Amino acid sequence: MADALPLADVKILDFMWVMAGPASTRMLADYGATIVRIESPTRVDTARTLQPFHNNTAGPDSSGLFGNCNAGKLGITLDLGNPRSREVVHALVRWADVVTESFSPKAMRAWGYDYESLRRIKPDIVMISTCLMGQYGPLSRIAGFGNMAAAISGFHNLTGWPDRPPASPFGAYTDYVSPRFTAMAILAALDHRRRTGEGQYIDQSQAESSLHFLGPAILDYTANGRVQSRVGNADRECAPHGVYPAAGEDRWIAIACRTDAQWRALCSVIGRIDLAADPRLATAAGRREHSEEIDRAVSEWTRGMGAGAAEAHLQHRGIPAHQVQNSAQIARDPQMAHRGHFVEVNHTTLGKTVVEGPRARLSRTPAQVRAAAPVLGEHNQHVLEKILGYGEDRITDLVAAGVFG
Amino acid sequence: MEMLSPYRVLDLTTERGLLCGQLLGDMGADVIKVEPPGGSPARGLGPFLNDQPHPDRSLYWWAYNRNKRSITLDIDRPEGRELLKRLVAGSDFLLESFNPGEMAARGLGYDDLAALNPKLVYVSITAFGQDGPKASYADADLIIMAAGGPLVLTGDEDRPPVRVSIPQAYLHASADGAVGALVAHHESVRSGRGQHVDVAAEQSVAMATQSYVLAAPLGSVEARRMAGGVKFGPLDIPLVWPARDGYIALTFLFGSALGVFTRKLMHYLCERGFCDEATRDKDWIAFGEQLFSGAEPLSEFERIKRIVSEFTSSHTKAELLQLAVERGFLMTPITTIEEVVKSPQLEAREYFRPLEHPELGRSFLYPGPFAKFSATPLRYRRRPPTVGEHNREIYCGELGLSDADLRNLSERGIV
Repeated sequence: MADALPLADVKILDFMWVMAGPASTRMLADYGATIVRIESPTRVDTARTLQPFHNNTAGPDSSGLFGNCNAGKLGITLDLGNPRSREVVHALVRWADVVTESFSPKAMRAWGYDYESLRRIKPDIVMISTCLMGQYGPLSRIAGFGNMAAAISGFHNLTGWPDRPPASPFGAYTDYVSPRFTAMAILAALDHRRRTGEGQYIDQSQAESSLHFLGPAILDYTANGRVQSRVGNADRECAPHGVYPAAGEDRWIAIACRTDAQWRALCSVIGRIDLAADPRLATAAGRREHSEEIDRAVSEWTRGMGAGAAEAHLQHRGIPAHQVQNSAQIARDPQMAHRGHFVEVNHTTLGKTVVEGPRARLSRTPAQVRAAAPVLGEHNQHVLEKILGYGEDRITDLVAAGVFG
Repeated sequence: MEMLSPYRVLDLTTERGLLCGQLLGDMGADVIKVEPPGGSPARGLGPFLNDQPHPDRSLYWWAYNRNKRSITLDIDRPEGRELLKRLVAGSDFLLESFNPGEMAARGLGYDDLAALNPKLVYVSITAFGQDGPKASYADADLIIMAAGGPLVLTGDEDRPPVRVSIPQAYLHASADGAVGALVAHHESVRSGRGQHVDVAAEQSVAMATQSYVLAAPLGSVEARRMAGGVKFGPLDIPLVWPARDGYIALTFLFGSALGVFTRKLMHYLCERGFCDEATRDKDWIAFGEQLFSGAEPLSEFERIKRIVSEFTSSHTKAELLQLAVERGFLMTPITTIEEVVKSPQLEAREYFRPLEHPELGRSFLYPGPFAKFSATPLRYRRRPPTVGEHNREIYCGELGLSDADLRNLSERGIV
């Protein structure tokens, strides 16, 4: 018999929405956790309104982002403002090992679902709150998206060209970084609970988690007093190091020479062995000093070459290089296919659609994307009947009370 | 008792996977950094304290090796491998980031070590994964960002795509590695068996495309790069806006969720005299769709952007942040690292933590715990280790070697 999914025994009541929070429980769902995700029947999850859309058409279920962040979860609608919804929430808290939420601070308290209240219902519950700036502090009320947390954490200023305004990383950067921290916090807290019987409350500031991705720049300031800023594609170690034009519209090849040997190989590939012999360019420091001359020489070769062909030529000689891929090219990338990065799922209203596959590949108990993201309220009946064991009368009564919207 | 304090981690990662072990160490695990004699090559990466290259003064090293102990060991020699195997027998996790196949060639692949310790969770962090057509590709941060999708979306449209100036790719992969390690560990508690966790950074960084990596498979339009924003279909959508003294991030978007915030902002702008009532009263929920369909001309979007820009550029970053806090507008200042370190928010939360470096007679501020745990707060127990700092403690104190044994190994360059 096949081994069970690694997190088959983990139960999570998930109040999170938009991107950063749901992306973290999506990771856990892939490995077998049961996630009951609460959505408001009236206030639409922002993620449902975000591009890219299935078949390029907007609709309540067609956001590829929502689908990607919520595949494999059970979805129920609950009107948290309806007093009768409390009995359902409390029952789900008793069922759950973990409660997650990503509202701005105070929302959970207003409903009476803060940690102190929930631990009275379930003393060993693990609860995590994740938001942009954390649960307290003068900026804790700032609500919004990961682009805002990235801006105020230094990422924007560190991305782009020194002679231009900040380009900023693409989109909501801390929403990509922080979900891993959320997921590992949950797993470590569960291990502690298993050993000690003790639950706890976790206050995650997405900005604070994400600053661990800027460690060297922070230490350069706290130790050396140096304020690093954006440097285009320059690199501290590699030279040349850049993105060069390839044949075709907006096609590019990234090249990074980490060693002098790779530099000499590059000179040979681009037919400029004269540069390999040039003593000014023998070291990375020298090459950085003459980067414009080198970039011109490299570009002359790349410009006439398809990006994929350039990648093959360079990699054949052991030079770090890759064509700059957009979605269409990644969808044809043989390595991504080999890794199963795109997974087809059957969606209740869309039919066949696609989500990203799990990241870490486990050799004995690999992850599975077990279902598409739920449509609004798709699992109301299932959760009430199978998870909470409610009978038909009780369910009818709750429906009549408007608990599910 | 910390969350992971019963567990031991052997961290053999090169400069690629260092963050993974640090995260496990921050959560309490006993992490032993196994370095080649002379120290990890990552110690050669700058910046350096006072710009003086030295294996114990690499700030790159400092950033990713807190809460670890260090031993040196030459795993390319049989005696070194035997010592490593003795350590493996008492460990829960092994982390490595060599090129695929290099550990197996040394007889230290997953199967070799699982035979010694069936419970071992063995994490490999590489650019493209352990196998497949690109597994042996030469790699670098920029190369992974190019392959996995974030690069093409980032930068000025009239220049080549650009990466984040601080290398990010292996941090995404290392964080995925830490999650994968804990998932496998959770399972091993139940089954008594470990497994191999194989992380490919190319996949990890695809996370940084905000699901646009799915555009083609979904049949959607691709997003295209634009400095401080994104081009989507006919629209140039700015997310970075000018302030009087710098720049801010402002989410000025439409649709049923985000249009509500835009409506609130436009009401305020009208109140402040930046626009007329007709502009204020546009249908901000539907505005995006109207631009796509042509019901609103693109020139109208350009006019609105000029209005918003007049507003933002007539205020300082601090004034705009105050407005965001008071009125719930979706905007924050674009800050320098200096401003981050001096942030009143981070100060109120006592985020930055001093770590004493006795060897330098100074302490330095480090980025603080990644989250606040009520029962098991993350502790910074150890500054990043100097090369082989814990050789005696671990080889003699824990593996039971004599001083003479250790001296002998050291003389022969194994330790």
